[in-house]
Amino acid sequence: MTSIVRATGLVKRYDKTLAVAGLDLDIAAGEIFGLVGPNGAGKTTTLRILATLLVPDRGDAEIAGASVRRNPNDVRRVLGFMPDSFGVYDDMKVWEYLDFFARCYGIPAERRRRTIGDLLELVDLGAKRDVYVQGLSRGMQQRLCLAHTLVHDPQVLLLDEPASGLDPRARVELRELLRELRSLGKTILVSSHILPELEELCTSVAIIDRGQVLAHGKVAEIEKRLRVGAILRARVLGGSEEHEAARAWFATQQDVVTADLLDDGTVEIGFHGDDDGSARLLADAVGAGLRVASFARAASDLEELFLQVTAPPPVPAEAVA
Amino acid sequence: MTAPTVTRPRFGALRDIGSGMAAVGVKELRGRMRGRRAFVILTIHLLLVAGFAWMIESLAERAYSGGFNSSFSASSEIGRQLFMGIILLLTLITLILAPASTAGAISLEREKQTLDLLTTTPISSLAIVLGKLLSALSWILLLLLASIPVVALVFTFGGVGPDDVVKAYVVLLGTAFAYGAIGLFVSALVRRTQAATVINLVAVIVLTAGTAFVFIFWTAMTGSSGFLPDQTGTRDGVVESLTKRPPEALMWFNPFVAQVDVMCGTETGFGTSCQIIAGITNEAGFLNGVSNPVGNDFGAPKDTYWPVSLAAMLGTALILIVLSVQLVSPTRRWRIRLPRPRRRAAGSEA
Repeated sequence: MTSIVRATGLVKRYDKTLAVAGLDLDIAAGEIFGLVGPNGAGKTTTLRILATLLVPDRGDAEIAGASVRRNPNDVRRVLGFMPDSFGVYDDMKVWEYLDFFARCYGIPAERRRRTIGDLLELVDLGAKRDVYVQGLSRGMQQRLCLAHTLVHDPQVLLLDEPASGLDPRARVELRELLRELRSLGKTILVSSHILPELEELCTSVAIIDRGQVLAHGKVAEIEKRLRVGAILRARVLGGSEEHEAARAWFATQQDVVTADLLDDGTVEIGFHGDDDGSARLLADAVGAGLRVASFARAASDLEELFLQVTAPPPVPAEAVA
Repeated sequence: MTAPTVTRPRFGALRDIGSGMAAVGVKELRGRMRGRRAFVILTIHLLLVAGFAWMIESLAERAYSGGFNSSFSASSEIGRQLFMGIILLLTLITLILAPASTAGAISLEREKQTLDLLTTTPISSLAIVLGKLLSALSWILLLLLASIPVVALVFTFGGVGPDDVVKAYVVLLGTAFAYGAIGLFVSALVRRTQAATVINLVAVIVLTAGTAFVFIFWTAMTGSSGFLPDQTGTRDGVVESLTKRPPEALMWFNPFVAQVDVMCGTETGFGTSCQIIAGITNEAGFLNGVSNPVGNDFGAPKDTYWPVSLAAMLGTALILIVLSVQLVSPTRRWRIRLPRPRRRAAGSEA
């Protein structure tokens, strides 16, 4: 698959703070690409460089073959950008909001009318066409802002924390909308803190910290590369004796690194095996007579990856001494 | 890598700027003209101008009624006073409304976090700035055009020709452009609209009342011939260094003075307006009561000051527009980088 977003050695410094330190990215066309990282990792700065809102101190990025340094205007024509915190114009109706941005892209009047109607249907705001923008809920405004990024039918969408501030229903709707956009052939680069959602949505991710990409690729591939373990939680019926017996049994099994008993009687298992291994562990536990009421991963793979990849390096013993 | 889908038509850049200005202008005018607000302001403006004109006309008529003054020349004098009163009021209104209309043009976009959405479109910073400025100016233009019927009353009295009205409106439009550009620049420079509004108000006061005060003070301290009598007495300190007349350029940004020069065009050459202009331009010949050394007309030279003042205002406005474009642009802003002292690691040359 051809890459549509490519960043090479991006460096951006704010006074004494190095926000992006030689970041490389390569995103194939048609992907939903997640940018994951803690606060201050450089996600927003990276997206703002790609959106031509910041000029990198070093390095360059290309979107659909256009350089953000040399041809920012060409880049703007092929991408849609939704910032983390965005505002809306007062005294503007929903259709006027989209009409304004369509005019900014020089779209002719006839096509503008058609596009606005289509986009309002796409983001499910057709009924709100003549409502003032400031009268919309946060979720609706978010969808409207997403619609504005689509008025010129861009190839690439850059979405900075698009789900922040949304209620669960609005998040689900947004997720569905992004999937639909992908099916329309858009490449979507999305940054978020809500890792389980990204995991479910994204075809690939890049985990970044301190301005550098620490891991990059499909979640399963990164997991395989890092050979990261999983946290399993088994709830066993019975009293404290049964719980302790279950913990002791799990601790002796293959690929189990740790087995701890939580206050509510759940056994938390540090597991190093794959999905087959965890299925076998459950079958063996049931076969061993443990009354297992539930057995599941405690956290998403992406969260585990994220925590492992972004964990600070261990302090050498001599340094502690 | 996929090829960029962008094609560049001939004269594409100019067309892009035009369509960008139109997009921003339409959006701004939609917001400005929506609801009753615009029409209420327009009505108040017309009532104010018409009421003011009625008061001046009544006062002038009372002053010139009866005896020798009830002649043809008295009628034209009433016309001139009416013209001067209305134009100075329109200048004041323009000075207040033009920077106020542009004070939030950019800072409001920043406050509402909409500037990023705007600057990631292909619309250029120049189109954003010009679109906002021209939409604000079109609003001022509407107010000025609406006042033309009131100004036209002066023709019933005489003393003022259509060319004088045209000149006065040219100065008014230039004032709106220049002070609108000042408002826009401050809006691009300052992050908060409230602060931008206050700075604009201060700028208007400094450039009009402030410059007039400095000019009068300077003229008085130098004791030179001007529209104030020579001052004698002891001087010390800074005042001692004021040995030359204040430069004429000090008043170029004061549109009231430019309008006074337009008024001078309606006078014989020795009227009050011409005296003020001669005092500023230091027309020694006129002040000494001899003929104008430059032209053949007797009295102060006409139509020489306001074009210079207008050119100075427009030139400054263009510079401020260029600076505003740089402040709005996310990627092309000029940055002054001061050289930083190099830190040398202790015990290392690397």
